[in-house]
Amino acid sequence: MQEATFLILTALAGGSQHGYGIIADVEQISDGRVRLRAGTLYTALERLSADRLIGVDREEIVDNRLRRYYRLTPTGEERLSEEAVRLRSNAAVAMARLDRIGGVATA
Amino acid sequence: MTDSADLERRYRRLLAFYPKAFRDQHEQEVLSVLMAGAADGQRRPRVAESADLLRNAILAHLHQMRLHRSWDYRQVVRRGLANEAEHPRRTILVRVGVGVWLIAAAAIAWGEGYWWGVFLLAPAALHFYLAYRAGHAVRR
Repeated sequence: MQEATFLILTALAGGSQHGYGIIADVEQISDGRVRLRAGTLYTALERLSADRLIGVDREEIVDNRLRRYYRLTPTGEERLSEEAVRLRSNAAVAMARLDRIGGVATA
Repeated sequence: MTDSADLERRYRRLLAFYPKAFRDQHEQEVLSVLMAGAADGQRRPRVAESADLLRNAILAHLHQMRLHRSWDYRQVVRRGLANEAEHPRRTILVRVGVGVWLIAAAAIAWGEGYWWGVFLLAPAALHFYLAYRAGHAVRR
């Protein structure tokens, strides 16, 4: 799973959000490292919808503009959880080995 | 015209590169996101943003083609070229027309400040070349 996909799913795990909300949340989760552009975001949302990992929650009109809120589906939750476990296990191994050679940043 | 209306018009032009199905589904919300992310007084899409939209528009087209598996592009091209060889006069008319249209589009893009308009000149040259070849076929 690509990092952008992982971060989008993580953003939606906190509750349903619209496009701009997802961009802002992903930026915050990643400590400002990942700033999604609109084109990239909607390509990802299209793909995730097609794979049934996310779905449309509701639509609102704010200031004459359409806001479509997306939410995580049960399948999406499952995939995100698998991916998070995998990343945690990889990170744990990396930390343990770095610790052994005394190069780990204890954060 | 206000700055934001100007900006929105330019965003809409970029979104026109997406397949119709994608636009029907997402144009309004992508526009909302783009406008929400715009700076005060911004009149033109940023270069990186335009590039991102164009790149993803191409991806959307490619994705759509893959969905229609029955659509064999090689066969379409072969049939098209055979058809052109049969009707060289009509080919010249169509190819020159498309070439002129592409150059006009490149000029408009350039005038609007989109430097990538120059990329339209290569397909325009190809169309003129194919018209020229069809011209040879007529004389023979």
